[in-house]
Amino acid sequence: MFGQGLLKGLEITWGRLFGKKHTVNYPYKRIEMFPRFHGRFQLDVDKCIACGLCVNACPNKVIEMEREKVGKKQFLTKYVMRIEYCLFCGLCVESCNRDALRFTNVIDMNQYRRKWVRLTLVDRPAPEAEETPEEAPAKAAKAEAAAGKAPDKEG
Amino acid sequence: MGENIFVDFTAWLRGLISGLGVPDLFNDIILMIVKLAAIIVFIALNATWLVYMERKICAYIQSRVGPRHHGPVGLLQPVFDVVKLMTKEIVLPKNVDLVVFLLAPVLIVVPPIVAYSVLPFGKDMVAIDMNIGLFFLVAVTSLSTIMFWMAGWASNNKYSLVGGMRVVAQMVSYELPLVLAMLGVVMITGTLNLSEVVNAQKNVWFIFAQPIAFLIYFIAGVAETNRPPFDLVEGESEIIAGPYTEYAGMGFAMFYGLAEFANMMVISAMCTVMFLGGWLAPFGLTFIPSWVWFFLKMYLVIFIFMWVRWTFPRIRVDQLMGFGWKVLVPLSLANIFITGTGMYIYRAIGW
Amino acid sequence: MKTQTYYLNLGPQHPSTHGVFRIILELDGEVVVKATPVPGYLHRGIEKLAEARTYTQVIPYTDRMDYLAAMLMNWGYVEAVEKLMGIEVPERAEYIRVIVGELSRIASHMIATGAYGADIGALTAFTYTFRDREYVIDLLEMVSGSRMTFSYFRIGGVAADFPEEFYPAVKKLLDQIPAMCDEYDGLITGNEIFQARTKFVGIIPPEVAVDYSLSGPVLRGSGVNYDLRKVRPYSVYDRFDFEVPLGKNGDCWDRFRIRIEEMRQSKRIIEQALEQMPEGPVLGKVPKVIKPPVGDAYAEIESSKGVYGCYVVSDGSPKPYRVHFRRPSFINLGYLGKLLEGWKIADVIAILGSIDIVLGEVDC
Repeated sequence: MFGQGLLKGLEITWGRLFGKKHTVNYPYKRIEMFPRFHGRFQLDVDKCIACGLCVNACPNKVIEMEREKVGKKQFLTKYVMRIEYCLFCGLCVESCNRDALRFTNVIDMNQYRRKWVRLTLVDRPAPEAEETPEEAPAKAAKAEAAAGKAPDKEG
Repeated sequence: MGENIFVDFTAWLRGLISGLGVPDLFNDIILMIVKLAAIIVFIALNATWLVYMERKICAYIQSRVGPRHHGPVGLLQPVFDVVKLMTKEIVLPKNVDLVVFLLAPVLIVVPPIVAYSVLPFGKDMVAIDMNIGLFFLVAVTSLSTIMFWMAGWASNNKYSLVGGMRVVAQMVSYELPLVLAMLGVVMITGTLNLSEVVNAQKNVWFIFAQPIAFLIYFIAGVAETNRPPFDLVEGESEIIAGPYTEYAGMGFAMFYGLAEFANMMVISAMCTVMFLGGWLAPFGLTFIPSWVWFFLKMYLVIFIFMWVRWTFPRIRVDQLMGFGWKVLVPLSLANIFITGTGMYIYRAIGW
Repeated sequence: MKTQTYYLNLGPQHPSTHGVFRIILELDGEVVVKATPVPGYLHRGIEKLAEARTYTQVIPYTDRMDYLAAMLMNWGYVEAVEKLMGIEVPERAEYIRVIVGELSRIASHMIATGAYGADIGALTAFTYTFRDREYVIDLLEMVSGSRMTFSYFRIGGVAADFPEEFYPAVKKLLDQIPAMCDEYDGLITGNEIFQARTKFVGIIPPEVAVDYSLSGPVLRGSGVNYDLRKVRPYSVYDRFDFEVPLGKNGDCWDRFRIRIEEMRQSKRIIEQALEQMPEGPVLGKVPKVIKPPVGDAYAEIESSKGVYGCYVVSDGSPKPYRVHFRRPSFINLGYLGKLLEGWKIADVIAILGSIDIVLGEVDC
C-alpha cells in the first residue's frame, strides 16, 4: 500500500528521537585512541643510532636529520619532521630497527602558524664540539645527501 | 488561573490610557500598536525558539545531541546565531537589481505578521476580530510567493532563478488544495470568522469531521512553507539554496530563519484553529488557560512538520506539480462534494 | 514563443557533486539538453609521483585515490607488484586482506548510501550511515592506526597482525550490520518518495554498460553478473560463499539497492573469513630492497566502485618505471554525459550520486 514506506521511515526516526545518542562531548571528553593510532611521533633519543633508515623510508621526505660523528658513533644532533607534509603512513616507524621512533596517541598537533607545525624531536649540540671549521659544511652536506637521495640507499 | 491575563492586561491598559484623558480613537490606535508590537515580538521570539527546536529535534533524530555549549542545554545558541548573522556583511553581488534585491528580505516577513493579526490565540485573544478572517489570512499568506520570486529574480544567479521559478509554481499550485481543504470546514461552520470557527468545534474537532481535509491541508501546508519533502525551492543538493543563494548575513536570516519559521507558525496556527479545535481544551481540562492549549497544539503540529522534514527525501519538481494537481486538488474537490452531500443528508434527517 | 536554452555550471563548488566535480549543463527550463562533465580539479599526479618513489613508498599514495575505501586501493597496487615479483603471500595475510578489504567496502558503501540519501534530500540517512561508518572505521583504526588513509598493506603481506581486541569488536559489529542495513532500507530504500525519485531514472541498458566498460555496482545494477570476486577470484575469494546482488532495470534505485545488499554479503564474507583464518606469518618472504625484474604486471581487484586495476612497469630499478591505475570511478563516469540528457536538474544529482564517484579516484 502506498504510504507504508513513509510510515516506516517515520517510525524509525521516532525511535531514534529517543534512542541512544552517539555524540561524544569532544573537548571535555576524549575517546581513548587505540594503541596503534598514528598520532604525534616520539623519538627515543637514547635508542636512536642515527642510521637514517627512517629518512630513507619516508615517501615524502618529511624527516630532516643531522648527525655528527662523535668518536666512532654517529651522534644525532637534529631531528626535525616537517609534519605539514607527513602522510602518517608509518613507513618510518616500521623501518626503525631499534624501536626508537614510535607513534603516540597524541592527536593535537595543530598550531596557529604553519611554521610552528614542524615537529622538532631532537635539537641538541654534539657533546664534544672539537671538529674543525672545514669539516662542518662537509658533514652538513653529507647529512643532506642522506636525506635527499633517499630511495637509492634503502636497505 | 491565567486564563485571562492577556485580556485583563488589555482592559487595564485601555483603562489606564483613558484615565489619562486620551480620546477613544487614539486609545484604540495605541492599543492596536501595542497588539501589533506584541505580535512582532511574539513572532521573533518564537522564530528564535524554533531555530533551537529545529536543531535540537534534527539532532535527536539523527542520534546527535545538537547545540549545548551556549547557555543551559544550548538555549542561547539561536541568540549567538542571530548575533553572528547580524554582524556579517551583506554581500551585494554584481549586477543585482539592488532595490528588489534588498527589499525582498524585508518584505518577506510582512505576510506572516499581518496574518497573525486575525489569528485567535486564545479565548477573546485576537488582535482584530474580523468577520472575514479566514479569507484575509489566505489572501495575505499567498503574498509571500512574490517575495521569493523577487529574491530569485533580482539575484542575477541562475540557481536563484530556477529556485524562484520553482517557488512560484509550487506555492501557486499548492495554494489551491490548501484553500479548498479549508472550504470543507467553512461549509460546516458557515462562517469565515476564525473565533467562530473555533467555537463551532466545541463538540467535535474538525480533524475528526474532516480527516481528508486535514490531510490535504497538512500536505499543502508543508508545501506552502517550502519545507521538506517539498523543499524544492531551497533544494540544497540541487540548486544550493534557491532564491536565498546570494543572500548573506541578515538577509539570509530573514529568509531562512524568520520567514520560514513565521510561515510555519502561521500554517500550524491555522491548522490548530481549523482542525484541532483552536484554544478549546480537550477532555474538559479547562483549568489550563486557553492560550496554553493553543500553543500546545500549535507546537504539536510544528513538531510533526519537523519530524517529517528530517525523515523524508525531497520530491522532484514534476512529481510535485503532478501530485498537487492530479491528487490533492481532485481529492479536495471530492471532499467538498462529500461534505456538501453529508450536510444535505444531515439536514434532511433533521439534526 | 521563442525559448532559449541556458548554461548552468554545476560545480566544482557544489554541495552534491561529491567533491570538486564539474558538469556544464545546457538546460531547457529544468531539462538537460546537453551535459559536459569536467573532471580534473583534484588531479595530483599520483601516477607520476609514483615514479619517483620506491615500490613500498607508493602505497601511501594509493590511499589517496579512493580515500573512502583506502584498503582496497592498497590491495590492487600491492597485488600488481607481487605479481611482478612473484611473491607468495602467506595464507593469513590473504585472509586479513579479505577482512579489512570487505570492512573497507562496507565503509565505502555506507558513505555511498548515505550520500545518496543526502542527494535525494534525506539528510538523516546521511548522518545514520556516517554514524555507523565510524564504528567500521574504528575497527580499521584498531588494525592499521589510521582512520582513513590506512597504508596497511605491504608488498608480500600486511603491516601487522590483528590485535587481540579486534576479534570481539568485529564480531560485535557484524552482528549489528543487518540491523543497520534494515534501518537504511526502512528509512530510504522503502520510502515511496525515494522510489519515485530513483526508479526508472537514469537507466543504463546492460549492453551499453558493457560497451562503456562500466563496472561495480553500476554494471551489476544493469543486471550484468560480473563481480571479479566471482568471475576471476583473486586472493582467497574462491573459498567464500556469497551472492552477487543484481539489479533488474539498471536505474538509480537498482544501483543504490545493490550497495546495501553488498554490505550484507560483505558481512557474510567476513564471517567466513574469520572462521577459516589460519595461523601464520602476515608478511611473506620479501627482499629488503624491492627490486622487481624488468617487466610489467597488471592486477585487478573488485573495489567498492568497480574493477580497480593497477599496471606496473619495472625497469629493474627500485623505483617503478611507470604505474597506471584503472580507476573505476573515472571509467564509470564515461557514460555520464549521455546518461544525463533529457533528465531534470534534480535527476542530474540523483544520477551522479548513484554512480558513486570519489573525486580523489576520478582525478587521481
